[in-house]
Amino acid sequence: MKKTVLAMLFVSLSLFATNHIIDQKGKTFIPHEISVKPGDRITFLNSDPFAHNAYTDDEDNEFDIGMQSTGTEKSIIVKPGGDFSVECAIHPNMLLEVIMK
Amino acid sequence: MLKKLTVVVFLFSSCVAVLGADEDMSKWLRPSEVPQPKNNKLTPERIELGKLLYFDVRLSKDDTISCATCHHPQHGWTDEVPTSKAVGYDGRVGPRNSPVILNAAYQRHQFWDGRARSLEQQATGPMSADVEMNMPLEELIPKLNKIQGYVALFEKAYPGEGLTKETLAKAVASFERTVLSTESPFDKYARGDKNAISEDAKEGFALFKGKAHCIDCHDGWNFTDGSFQNIGLNDGELQGKELGRYNVKNRGAWYGVFKTPTLRDVTKSYPYFHDGSVKTLEEATVICASGGRYENGVRNKSDAMKDRKLTHEEVAKVVEFMKSLTGPDIDLKIPTKFPQ
Ligand code: HEC
Ligand code: HEC
Ligand SMILES: [Cu+2]
Repeated sequence: MKKTVLAMLFVSLSLFATNHIIDQKGKTFIPHEISVKPGDRITFLNSDPFAHNAYTDDEDNEFDIGMQSTGTEKSIIVKPGGDFSVECAIHPNMLLEVIMK
Repeated sequence: MLKKLTVVVFLFSSCVAVLGADEDMSKWLRPSEVPQPKNNKLTPERIELGKLLYFDVRLSKDDTISCATCHHPQHGWTDEVPTSKAVGYDGRVGPRNSPVILNAAYQRHQFWDGRARSLEQQATGPMSADVEMNMPLEELIPKLNKIQGYVALFEKAYPGEGLTKETLAKAVASFERTVLSTESPFDKYARGDKNAISEDAKEGFALFKGKAHCIDCHDGWNFTDGSFQNIGLNDGELQGKELGRYNVKNRGAWYGVFKTPTLRDVTKSYPYFHDGSVKTLEEATVICASGGRYENGVRNKSDAMKDRKLTHEEVAKVVEFMKSLTGPDIDLKIPTKFPQ
């Protein structure tokens, strides 16, 4: 609950928030590197015929979108903090580097 | 940006090439370069030392068990006992089937649940596990330091670094990096020898990549994409069963998942699955091609586990194909004399 309120706060604070679309395709994040700022949204798609996941254990931006099946969309809002990397819990070779502007 | 675009276009066109009639077969061949960490490059001294340690029973508490007891070259680098039974220290039984260490050098995560990240990190685990060698490192390191022959060999392999748990791990890992798959009939086929495998095996390969969807997980030259999957070997909530990677961290996606194993030399590595519950490749294939042993009600089962409706003939062809992935045994002289 507190998290949601905080997240909403960031959204309203950053008027120029960007939505970064990441496709999960061929067991890779496409693109596999993005530059973001707090308040931005990262939206994960899944174009593969099986489930993916995206998570990070980063202190500031910890999240886990859970099981994401084919054709669905899930998103998270970036919180203030440093660069972090996102992995797929199913396919650990999938890596997304998120760089803070 | 332009660079990225080119990469994407290139990736896209190589995908098209794979789908096309003239499949690029190079992705099915083992890269000749073995990954090595900067601080532990392979040298003949390190490999030779690691090999001695790997086969030396003195690494165990009562001088009866070596790494090879459970991962023996003549048993496809595994044992042939479900869940390493009766081979561990004092007859203790570990909870899991010994996996093959073949090509472990190329894996990003070690163990069935992926809890170790490198071979160096992995190597010292079994020595201290009470169900394996039952030899705490605090006792093992002094024990080895009393063997002058080893002290000298460590000095040669790792000058100035001493005989410590770090150099012990590095040496064992160096040997493991030489335990690599050899050229199988399938590799000969992939290199262009069209007659190296049977027609059935070729059709099995097509099924493996197509209708049977095995490459959803067993993808790439090592026939694993390194993924962690719950394939429905056990039903429901897994009460009292192995929870796999969930034990590393309680992440929902890790409930009951295990690492997708390589299928290279798979004819040599029975029994199959993390619990050693299956004896034949036919049975393993039927389980993997029909949505798992338990089709419904399995918490967190992979959605790539679907009933692919293979006929008996098709299962036999997939098995024929998997048999073509076995190469000759590694040319290895098992040490008989150990440092004193
Ligand atoms: C008593 C039997 C036993 C002994 C002795 C033993 N192992 Fe293992 N080994 C196992 C089992 C069982 C596993 C799987 C454990 C797991 O996944 O939790 C394993 C896992 C491994 C793996 C990971 C393979 C993979 O694909 O993830 C490597 C590498 C390995 N052992 C190397 C060694 C080395 C090196 C030694 C000697 C220092 C050794 N083992 C001693 C039984 C044994
Ligand atoms: C959803 C991913 C997935 C798919 C699809 C899949 N497998 Fe597997 N396979 C695995 C995993 C994970 C294991 C190990 C499971 C365990 O022990 O819990 C495994 C184990 C095996 C084993 C046993 C290997 C050993 O050394 O124990 C064989 C053989 C096998 N699979 C063949 C196949 C074949 C043939 C197909 C296609 C019909 C297939 N698999 C489809 C993930 C998959
Ligand atoms: Cu994934």
